Amino acid sequence: MSYQEKRIIFTIVTGILILGAYCIYAYKKFQSSAVNTEDIKFWAGSILVFVVIGIVVNIVNQIIFHILIAISIAVEKKIRNENCDEKEIEESIKNGMVTDEMDQLIELKSMKTGFFVSGIGFLLGLVLLVLNYSPIIMINLMFIFFLIGSLLEGFVQLYYYRKGI
Amino acid sequence: MAKKLKITNNIRKLRFFADEMTQQQLAEKTGASRQTIVAVEGGKYSPSLELAFCIADAFGVAIGEVFEYEVEG
Repeated sequence: MSYQEKRIIFTIVTGILILGAYCIYAYKKFQSSAVNTEDIKFWAGSILVFVVIGIVVNIVNQIIFHILIAISIAVEKKIRNENCDEKEIEESIKNGMVTDEMDQLIELKSMKTGFFVSGIGFLLGLVLLVLNYSPIIMINLMFIFFLIGSLLEGFVQLYYYRKGI
Repeated sequence: MAKKLKITNNIRKLRFFADEMTQQQLAEKTGASRQTIVAVEGGKYSPSLELAFCIADAFGVAIGEVFEYEVEG
């Protein structure tokens, strides 16, 4: 499995965790009577907090992932050639994490899927509003579709890496 | 209407004749990732002209010796 595929799987797992955490949080809030679940300000605040948590978790995860990958490449290089120096190891790490034109093309193609799913969520939200559903449903639906879109983006990337582009 | 082309390549053969150059070595020479070289060699990805020239340059041959095409249909 290549560096890019590992990185995408790491991102997907993070995305699933955030989506799961938000779904549990929203479900518990709807079940409990501690807060007024019709308060749109409360939901907007909750979503904003989850977006910030998502960004922070993603950054931390990427840092941890890159450290782990660099360690694994260095260990592999040292096992293969015990006499290699630091410069060679550095070079191997650099070569192992190259992002090139194929990666960029796959990223662009998968982003299309992400935007498409997010767009469907937005349209569905509008339809529900027209059908007199609560704006709370709309805002939650949009956020969940946004998260699903970013997850799908990762799966599409994995698909293109496996199948070719 | 543009004709559909099937692009094939001789990278495996050229690597063999270049002292069994590894995919990683070719990737390093061209500035691409090993995964991209694997995809190009397997016919799963058609590289940009720039990368195609870089690959040809790595073997010291003309681009036409690396990539060939045939009209489909």
